[in-house]
Amino acid sequence: MSLPVILTRDLTRVYQSRKGFFFQDAVRTEALRGVNLEVSSGEVYGLLGPNGAGKTTLTKILATLLLPTSGTARVLGLDVSTESRAIRSRIGLVLGGERGLYNRVSGRENLRYFADLYGVPVARRARRIDEVLELVGMTSAADRRVEEYSRGMKQRIHLARGLLHEPELLFLDEPTIGLDPKSAREIRKLIRTLASQGVTIFLTTHYMFEAEELCHRISVLTRGRIVAEDTVDGLRRLVGGDRTIEVEGYGFDEKELSLLRALPGVSRIVEEDFGPRERLTLRVRTPETTEGDIRASLPLQRDLRIRERTTTLEDIYLDLVEEEAT
Amino acid sequence: MRGTPPPPGPRILGASFRLAAQTFVADPQWLIPSIVAPVIFALAAYEMYRGSGPVLVLYAILGAGMMSMWGQTLYGSGWAIGQDRFLGTLEPVLGAPARYLWVVAGRVLWNTLIGLAGGALVFLVIAATYHAPLPLRDPLLFVGLFAFVIATLATVGLLFSALFVLTRYGGFIQNIGEFAFYVATGCMFPVVLLPFWTTPLSLLFPPTWALDALRYVGVPGYRGLSWGLLPDLVGALVLSVAYAAAAALLFERVVRHVLAQGTADEY
Repeated sequence: MSLPVILTRDLTRVYQSRKGFFFQDAVRTEALRGVNLEVSSGEVYGLLGPNGAGKTTLTKILATLLLPTSGTARVLGLDVSTESRAIRSRIGLVLGGERGLYNRVSGRENLRYFADLYGVPVARRARRIDEVLELVGMTSAADRRVEEYSRGMKQRIHLARGLLHEPELLFLDEPTIGLDPKSAREIRKLIRTLASQGVTIFLTTHYMFEAEELCHRISVLTRGRIVAEDTVDGLRRLVGGDRTIEVEGYGFDEKELSLLRALPGVSRIVEEDFGPRERLTLRVRTPETTEGDIRASLPLQRDLRIRERTTTLEDIYLDLVEEEAT
Repeated sequence: MRGTPPPPGPRILGASFRLAAQTFVADPQWLIPSIVAPVIFALAAYEMYRGSGPVLVLYAILGAGMMSMWGQTLYGSGWAIGQDRFLGTLEPVLGAPARYLWVVAGRVLWNTLIGLAGGALVFLVIAATYHAPLPLRDPLLFVGLFAFVIATLATVGLLFSALFVLTRYGGFIQNIGEFAFYVATGCMFPVVLLPFWTTPLSLLFPPTWALDALRYVGVPGYRGLSWGLLPDLVGALVLSVAYAAAAALLFERVVRHVLAQGTADEY
């Protein structure tokens, strides 16, 4: 059996900072609290979590841009703390965003600079830059200064930079954020192509459909801990069923809620108010519970609206994050 | 196996030098502190000292030229790293397998050469404007030593930049340090004119020795540090090597410290 491409054990990261001017207090923030994960070769692995959950911290530790406080992290069989340079040659990192590029020079010159820093053979450098520009659809704008680029164009250059040296493992931190739908779709297509070529991809994203579409396995990180890790189907089972039934009415009392909870296969009910109406979202494990059963449990409700849909990754994610928060 | 082997140092240096040059050309505002200001200083100094004899005039012009060179070198180390933080490029550069020491060395080299160009221009402008040949004893040796002074400045810039990586206030420290260093190393006037207690401090910097050597060669009748030209050269060389070695050692530690603190993305 081959070694995991990424392996972490009890990984923690604590940030120390100071607050105040004359009398400074030490502030200690635990960004990661005992993270254990394994990613296999060729896998597209998604990391989801709310803002401040520790996603970027974890990505930066794995990409050797941050040292862990304790625990171990091995990438491609190498230790992130002691063998960082060897790791960097074999991984690509796309942090994205508006920053991170030299604005006064062109996209092509940015790529040339980083091709040199990554040791792309000189004989291959120009061709490789053309290839990655073509891959991300930036050939025609490559010779314009970065300061003239839109956010989406900068994002594409970030991605091109991450691919220059043909990495075995690619870290993508929210690669489609700020892109228009067409560009985002092209980036997702590119990610699929890279995965089909055997590149392992570690993806953080806020877009659930993106994770659902691309990732073989997904973990949910919240408050520095991984609270769930599985395939999308596995996560569905974990949160209690792949059926989701939404019930809308003008307020539900505790007795009605108890009756609904007693229906076969109902594992979880989430209440949500909007205006005068209330929506109950039922997670259902078995096929037995029908719309008729629900109506029968709520005889006093006059204007019920009931809709069944497949449990999405967003539902699963919200369940897990809310569960952790409570 | 995919990926690439880490690049050799000279290649990183070349890439960094090239990028520094492109950035400089793309942003003409740098012509003012690096080229225009030293020329104006030199013209003003010439006007102030022209009646005081050729030796004082040479002092003044040399001071203006050195100001340009040192300003550029310090810029290369302090401001450029601050700019990396501001642009958010420090993280991707540290995330590459290249040694950061070589990245900074390429920038320092470019900025030092621009400083040299500024210094040379000062001499040319004075010579052309006033048709006043400067009283150099050995112009060829003077030019060689000028380049040597540049090299000593570059090693100081390299060491300072290791410290500037640590903090987001590199540009601020650079602004404070520029004039203090300018005086302490004898850029504007010989260090022997400073209070005696400052001399040991001045002698810790390689350019102090190199500048003294330069004045021995360039200024007729110069009496600076009493040991003369050759010990000056040896002192400058030994200190420069020590500075470069210390920078190499320090860079690894400083970069690790930044990664431990997680401050590479701060600006």
